[in-house]
Amino acid sequence: MEKYFDATYIWESIPALLPFLKVTFMVAGLSVLFGSLLGLLLAIMKLGKNKLSQQIAHGYTTVMRCTPSIVLLFLIYYGVPAIFINFGINLNDMSSAFFVVITFSLQFGALMSEVIRSAYESIDKGQYEAAVSVGLSNTQAYGRIIFPQAFVVALPNFGNALLELMKEGALAYTIGLIDVMGKANLIIAGNYNSHALEIYIGLSLIYWVLSIMIEQFFLKLEKIFSKGRKDLKTA
Amino acid sequence: MPNGLDIPFLIDTFFVALTGVPIAMLITIVSLLIALPLGFLLALTRINRMPILNQFSRVYVSFVRGTPVIVQIFIIYNSVPLLLGTIFEKYNINMNVYEVNPIWYAFIVFSLNTIATLIEVFRSAINTVSKGQLEAAHSVGLTTAQAFIRIIIPQTLVVALPNICNATVNLIKATSLGYAMSLPEITLKAQVAANASYNYIEAYIAIFIIYLLICSLVEYAFKRYEKRLRKYQIAPAA
Repeated sequence: MEKYFDATYIWESIPALLPFLKVTFMVAGLSVLFGSLLGLLLAIMKLGKNKLSQQIAHGYTTVMRCTPSIVLLFLIYYGVPAIFINFGINLNDMSSAFFVVITFSLQFGALMSEVIRSAYESIDKGQYEAAVSVGLSNTQAYGRIIFPQAFVVALPNFGNALLELMKEGALAYTIGLIDVMGKANLIIAGNYNSHALEIYIGLSLIYWVLSIMIEQFFLKLEKIFSKGRKDLKTA
Repeated sequence: MPNGLDIPFLIDTFFVALTGVPIAMLITIVSLLIALPLGFLLALTRINRMPILNQFSRVYVSFVRGTPVIVQIFIIYNSVPLLLGTIFEKYNINMNVYEVNPIWYAFIVFSLNTIATLIEVFRSAINTVSKGQLEAAHSVGLTTAQAFIRIIIPQTLVVALPNICNATVNLIKATSLGYAMSLPEITLKAQVAANASYNYIEAYIAIFIIYLLICSLVEYAFKRYEKRLRKYQIAPAA
């Protein structure tokens, strides 16, 4: 087997991989959507007064934090159809994207619950009291006073969670999802396993650029929103 | 598999997978031992803005944190044999690069990965220790090395500990990707056991429990240690 490094493979692999970012984005987008909803629910449970739901939410977060994505992915991939078949529903023909979205929604939900909780707790209680005392209703106080401030605090952590999700999402290839990572593996298999290194380098460049873009985007966003916060403080 | 779980198999796999724990722990500990000092030193280069090294660690951290671990594993796993092969050929060393124990690749990948995480952890931790501490240490006659060992590092450690704990848990979780290097750790052992009988669910439940146990233990240990270290932390000036 001829084994030497050929940089042209890197540049050739990038355009071949880029179209498959669509799949990566779609899976990540859906996971963010469902995960954020789950995270919100968990955060409400954690912040609520009910001891039992508090413990459930905290326990859930701990379990998720301790489970490697790959283990969770396979557990969902094999476990969910096995559970549903008891109810007469056959999920074996579902696209692997379905299981990937479930897995990463569960994981992202745990991350988001902490992000939302810490953002909410960072807002001084006086803010709510002040809002209510000037005659705002409960919903108004949350919608206009608490939420906008908590949003700014949560922004960088949300960005981090998103980056984490993008990277962990690369593991979806193990259950047969053809995203950028899956495509890279297909290309390598098509080359009879030669020049794997060059293609992985091309792939890593795509991920790298993507991460930097996401990071910069959130930095910009944070700047825009914290400007407003400073103005509020001085006013 | 329409009916329930195969409990005896689950228990069997649990013990099979347990035999993979020492390797996972070995990788974790070796990677941490390599990464802690290097991460600290590189964090210092970032803080002191040393030319070249500063830029290097910046790009390095950005790359490692911007790419999936699995891609890093594949890159190292594919590039190191290539490099070693060239070196061995040049110096006529008679050794087959494809017989190298995969654990060496694991050490490289996970150390490089953890260094990047720890650079950021230490950078923010060192920043929380005020500059006056170093100046005060100098003024009472300590050398810079002494000041760091006795004054700065203990204080940094207290602040950094929760994040080091996080990094450790992430590292343990990441060792589950060692299967990509055919490393016989927890996940691969369970997978192999499951392949024989297609009892994948039981196998993954077994390792799910194992990871849960390990990570909870590690978190507990760090919490205990943190409590002990808290003694050394100076209460913030009121």
